[in-house]
Amino acid sequence: MHVEFLGVPRQRAGISELEVQANTLGQLLGTLATQIPPLGEFIAVDRLHSSFIANLNGDQFISDPATPLVGDDRVLILSADAGG
Amino acid sequence: MPFGYHGCYLRIDVSEGTSEYVPLSDTVLRQYLGGSGLGVKLLLDEGAAVMDPLAPEAPLVFAFSPLVGSPLTTSAKFAVVSKSPLTGRINDSLASSGFAIAAKRCGCDGIVIVGRAAELSVVVIDETDVRMEPATEYRGATCRETESGLKARLGANYRVASIGQAGEQLVRYATISHDGRHAGRGGSGAVLGSKNVKAIAVRGQHRAEWANPEELTTISISLSKRSFGPATAKYRELGTATNLLTFNRFGALPTRNFQSGTFEEAASLSPEQLSTTRSKTRESCVSCTIGCEHIYTLGSGSGVRVEYESLFALGSLCGVSDADAVLRASQRCDELGLDTISTGGTIAFAMECVERGWLNEPWLTFGSADALLRVIDLIGSRQGIGDLLADGSRRAAEAIGHHSIDFAPQVKGLEIPGYEPRALQTMALGFAVGARGADHNRSGAYEVDFSDKVDRRHVTLDAVRHAIDTEDKAALMDSMIICKFLRGVFEDFHAEAAEMLRSVTGWDVTADELRETAKRIVSAKRQFNLLAGWTPAEDTLPERFLSTPLPNDPEASLSRERLDSLVAEYHRQRGW
Repeated sequence: MHVEFLGVPRQRAGISELEVQANTLGQLLGTLATQIPPLGEFIAVDRLHSSFIANLNGDQFISDPATPLVGDDRVLILSADAGG
Repeated sequence: MPFGYHGCYLRIDVSEGTSEYVPLSDTVLRQYLGGSGLGVKLLLDEGAAVMDPLAPEAPLVFAFSPLVGSPLTTSAKFAVVSKSPLTGRINDSLASSGFAIAAKRCGCDGIVIVGRAAELSVVVIDETDVRMEPATEYRGATCRETESGLKARLGANYRVASIGQAGEQLVRYATISHDGRHAGRGGSGAVLGSKNVKAIAVRGQHRAEWANPEELTTISISLSKRSFGPATAKYRELGTATNLLTFNRFGALPTRNFQSGTFEEAASLSPEQLSTTRSKTRESCVSCTIGCEHIYTLGSGSGVRVEYESLFALGSLCGVSDADAVLRASQRCDELGLDTISTGGTIAFAMECVERGWLNEPWLTFGSADALLRVIDLIGSRQGIGDLLADGSRRAAEAIGHHSIDFAPQVKGLEIPGYEPRALQTMALGFAVGARGADHNRSGAYEVDFSDKVDRRHVTLDAVRHAIDTEDKAALMDSMIICKFLRGVFEDFHAEAAEMLRSVTGWDVTADELRETAKRIVSAKRQFNLLAGWTPAEDTLPERFLSTPLPNDPEASLSRERLDSLVAEYHRQRGW
C-alpha cells in the first residue's frame, strides 16, 4: 500500500510518500520503524506514539495494530495534535 | 492566604488616577484559580455583563495565576478578560511572557482597570506604586515601538503591554500586545483603547511563596524533560504552520471565505516551502522549554512570527498565495495590533461581497495581495471601507444586507478559526456552543476529529461528551495557567495538574476537585453570557455550513438538524 507522511513525520522521513507491503497497521508501522530509523522515536513496536496518528484513505483515523490493510490502501501518518 | 498568591487584586480607576488593593478570599481563589476563571469571576462581581464594553465604567481584567513565576515550563502567562466589543459576550484572551511575571510581582493576582483617562496615557505600576503618565507621543505607534519607547523612558526592567493604532481606533478585534505576542481575540485592545490607555508598564519584586519548593522543583524538572519529547515535536520542528498542508490534505483548510476546504496553492504558504527560501529562527516565551515560535525573514530583513492561524486567515481564506504578501500582512497586523483571524475572516467576507456585487470596492478581490495589504491599513486606521470592516464580519453583514449574514464567517460575532466545520464536525459543535464565539482555544474539539473516537464527517451524539471534555480541560489550563501545547505530555492531566497546584498552593486539591473547578469556570462564562443577553439561538453556525456541502468533498456535509441535535445534547449534558 501507499504511505503518505505529513508534517513532522514527513520532515523526519525526508520523503513524502512510500510504497510498503503489509497486512495490518502494526506490520506497516514495524516496517517503517526499520526502514526509516528517524521515525523510530514515534513508533513503539507496532504502535504510534500517542502524539501521532494514522489515517486510512483520508477517511477513518486508525490506531489498532490489527487493523487490516489491503493493497490499494493509502495510509497517512501525521501529528495527532492539530492545535493551531 | 494560600501560597502561590498575593490574596488581592489591584483596581485602578484611570479617570480619577486612583488605585486600591482589593482582597481576594481563599475560597474565591480555590474556586476560580486564576487566569480566565478568576477574570470571569471578577467581571461578574463588577457587573460587567450588562455594561457597554467600550464605556468608561466597563472593567478590563488582567488575571495571573498561582503558577506564574514558578519554574513550571510555560507558566508565564496572563489572561485579559472583559466583555467583548466584537461579540457582546464574555471574552478571555491569553498571552505570554515577562509581563505576567513582572505584573504578579507588583503584589497582586490581577489588575482591574476602569474609567477613561483624560488623555492618551500609560499606566505605570512600580512595585505597589501606581501612576499615570502621558503617552500622547505614542499615538499611532506600533506595539513594538510603544514597548521599546516606554522601556527606554522608564527603564529596561519594566515589562509593557500595549495597543497599536487599531486599539486606539477602537477596531473591535484589536489586540493587546506584549513582547511580540498578543492577547488576540475578541477586541481587548479596543477596550483598553476606549480607556485612553496606550500601555501598561509594570515592574515589581514581590514574589509569592510556594508551599513545597522541593516538590515543585521535582515536578518542574520532570515536565521540562518531557517537553522535549515527541509530544511537542510538531511545535518545535515546524510550528503550528504545519497544520496548513495537513488540513489541506483532509479538505479542512478554509479557503476563499469557506467556499472550499482545499487551497490549490497551499504548498506555497507551508512552512516546508517557506523554510527553503527564507532563513528562520526559533524563539520561545519566558519560562518555556518548547519554543514554538518560528520567525521567518522578510525581504526587508525584518522577521515575522509565522502561525497557522495567520497563514490560513490572510492566505487561503483570502485566496492569496503570495507568501511574501501573507507574511507582510501578518506582520502588519502585529504592528497595528489586529487579531489576524478576525482580520482575515472579515476581509474574506468582504471579498465575497465584492464578488457578488454587493460591495462597491472592485479592487478588493480574492487572491489580490495588494488588496490584502491595502485593506489591512484601512482597517487599522478606520478609513474608507476599513471603517465598516473594523466592526467585524457580523456587523458588516448587517450593514450590507442581501442575507450576507448567511456566509459571514462568525459565531456570536467572533470570526471562525482555521478549522473547516463541515470536515471537522466535533469542532463544528465546539464553535457553535463556544462562550466567546467560534474558537479553537476554548474548545479543543478538533482533537476528537483527529482521532479514532469519531468519524469526523459524520459525527454522532457520542461526540458531545468528548467535546465537553476538551472544553473543560481548556478552561482548567487557561485558569491555572499552563500552555496547551503541553497537552500531549501528560499521562493524566488532572492528576498532574493537582500535583502542581498542591506543591505551589499547599491545598489538598485532587483531580476530581479540578474537574469540578473546570465545570464551574465554564458555567461562570455562561452565567456572564446569560446576563449579557445570550439566547439558545446563538449556539449555531452560519447558514452556509448547514446548507452547502464542501464542493470537493460531498461527504463533508452538516445539516441544521444534525447540528441542532448535537447542541441540544451538549446543553443536556451540561445540565443547562
